[in-house]
Amino acid sequence: MFKQFVHSLQGDEIYMLLSLSIFFAFFIGATIAMFRMKKSHLEYMSDIPLNEEIEASN
Amino acid sequence: MQPDKFYYDNKTVRNFAIATIVWGIIGMTVGLLIATQLYSPSMNLGNQYTTYGRIRPLHTNAVIFAFVGNAIFMGVYYSLQRLLKARMFSDVLSKIHFWGWQLIIISAVITLPLGFSTSHEYAELEWPIDIAITIIWVVFGINMFGTILKRREKHLYVAIWFYIATFVTVAVLHIVNSFELPVSIFKSYYLFAGVQDALVQWWYGHNAVAFFLTTPYLGMMYYFLPKMANRPIYSYRLSILHFWALIFIYIWAGPHHLLYSSLPGWAQSLGVAFSIMLIAPSWGGMINGLLTLRGAWDKVRDDVTLKFMVVALTAYGMATFEGPMLSLKSVNAIAHFTDWIVAHVHVGALGWNGFLTFGVLYWLIPRIYKTTLYSKKLASFHFWIGTLGILFYAIPLYWAGFTQGLMWKEFTPEGLLKYANFLETVTRIIPMYIMRSIGGGFYLIGVIVMAYNLVRTMTTGKLVSNEAAEALPLVKENEPREFWHRKIERKPMVLLVLSLVVILIGGMVEMLPTLFISSNVPTIASVKPYTPLELQGRDLYIKEGCVGCHTQTIRPFRSETERYGEYSKAGEFVYDHPFLWGSKRTGPDLQREGGKYSNAWHYNHLMDPRTMSPGSIMPNYDWLIDQKLDTTTTAVKIRAMQTFGVPYPNGYAAIANKDLDLQAKAISANLAIDKIKVSSDREIIAIIAYLQRLGTDIKNKPSK
Repeated sequence: MFKQFVHSLQGDEIYMLLSLSIFFAFFIGATIAMFRMKKSHLEYMSDIPLNEEIEASN
Repeated sequence: MQPDKFYYDNKTVRNFAIATIVWGIIGMTVGLLIATQLYSPSMNLGNQYTTYGRIRPLHTNAVIFAFVGNAIFMGVYYSLQRLLKARMFSDVLSKIHFWGWQLIIISAVITLPLGFSTSHEYAELEWPIDIAITIIWVVFGINMFGTILKRREKHLYVAIWFYIATFVTVAVLHIVNSFELPVSIFKSYYLFAGVQDALVQWWYGHNAVAFFLTTPYLGMMYYFLPKMANRPIYSYRLSILHFWALIFIYIWAGPHHLLYSSLPGWAQSLGVAFSIMLIAPSWGGMINGLLTLRGAWDKVRDDVTLKFMVVALTAYGMATFEGPMLSLKSVNAIAHFTDWIVAHVHVGALGWNGFLTFGVLYWLIPRIYKTTLYSKKLASFHFWIGTLGILFYAIPLYWAGFTQGLMWKEFTPEGLLKYANFLETVTRIIPMYIMRSIGGGFYLIGVIVMAYNLVRTMTTGKLVSNEAAEALPLVKENEPREFWHRKIERKPMVLLVLSLVVILIGGMVEMLPTLFISSNVPTIASVKPYTPLELQGRDLYIKEGCVGCHTQTIRPFRSETERYGEYSKAGEFVYDHPFLWGSKRTGPDLQREGGKYSNAWHYNHLMDPRTMSPGSIMPNYDWLIDQKLDTTTTAVKIRAMQTFGVPYPNGYAAIANKDLDLQAKAISANLAIDKIKVSSDREIIAIIAYLQRLGTDIKNKPSK
């Protein structure tokens, strides 16, 4: 099946390679970014929607 | 430091909420009307303005841009102010945005039944309205970014990223899919033709689902779900990955709407590959939402808003699992063009968009009216009848789609099509159509009950138009050596540009080669431009919305070449501004219709399809015989085509009507032989001319 897939490209392999590399680069970047975030920051961010009510009731 | 005192604008939120409810009821009622027309053609109320082809676009536009559109603005205006601790940037812009959007919807309600349509699905509105949409969208953008700039919260919560991505991408999609050349105040032709036009349209169509029906709703989910459950989102990390992955991958997946068509193979393969990858971010988002409720499921039992949210997320999960499955070529071969697709989009529309909207409405209206919901019982009734409605809608249509898809492909042991008569595959699924409309009816009853419940809620409370709030102003602080992603979260413009870059990569890699490398669309010497009469007939075909039920693209399967004839080639469509491939076969494909039947057959069939095909569900088009063809537009249409490079001879525009007349008279004379008396200046003559031309060019020998 993969053979057929590649053969149907007719010299447009560049698209396969290009899209695959963009995809990989992007995801590795995003994953690294995700894991390097600090826990305190993450907690702060996820509390933003809930914060306002506490303030409003004060 | 002294906190700032300021007020949230609740009035605009309330206005958008009312518009959501009103347009929701109207859009769904139109949907129910066209659903009944599928088993009872006389439900078109006997006139052209309420016939399926014209009001199916009204249904889709009303539910997408009026119901969901207003709901998005309601959700954004409510959550944005609170997430940023600031009032909306400008009250004037809020007003312009609200009323401008309603005017656009009203103009759609008027022009679509009149037949002013570009034929691009979900982009049917003609060019003056396209310009109005652009202006109002920019107003929305300025208002949103103005608010972001004067915010009192340093960091942008993930919901806002989704809103920003929505704004940017919808702007790009709308502009690119509106490259039109106007020929009159309510008629235009698309710049691209055939395969290229199809690629642009489905890049748009697919991403309208992604960035109008999905990303703004995910933003709303990330804000309202934690609020309703009173606990933070399960994983903020996951929401970040969800965001970037979703907007990056979605934009590539458009070509899965064109599998087995004459679109270049590599583009189809790219579309499939990225569609399958889409499961990951979509399910990441769903799981993130559902896990937010972990440990709070007891709340779901008592709280009807949370019930709506849970079903919405589940429907989102089902639709986003099914989508990638449908993009597999082998599944697509059966499902495409059938009611399976209709069921699929309605799981998304009724379940995900509808239920999330209802959940937010039930939560938000009592809050801005400082009261409690009028009746929890009625809301609970709405939940159950709505859920039942979705089931009654979707299950029969899945059944119908699967049945019909297999019937189209079935051969007898002798190697002949088992159901050679297309109509046989339609009459088989009529009971399913009836069940579907009952499901739709249930769903609509639920919405009407909700409207009553919310109106009673509004009358018991009093709108807090300006809700007092206070927060510390932002101060500039220096934070050197900060992690880069954290920086982005404070820089809305950077976020905007990055989102734009991310969505443009996919769009460009996929579309530019087909649009600008001519060898990707091989030409065929015997394919010639339409005659003036055929061109006018083609525009009538667009006006009547024939493309809503008839495709013009034959896939390279034996079951299709046996039934319809030679499969479609990219080169056959080079003069088709716009392409009319269609996406649903409620009736048979028409690409090789030319020469199949006599003119008299077409005349009688258009007058009353049941005289030629007993049991047909196609409406009567008797007005085509009463109405005179408008030939004053011929010259300007020919000139527009010449601008695109369609090879009509120089100066042909001035004499085109002479040719038109000759051809029309010939058809009228031919009809007279069969004892049909019709004047040659009627619309029906033009549409017959067009139908008889369809797909005949490649049968001719190339002439020099």
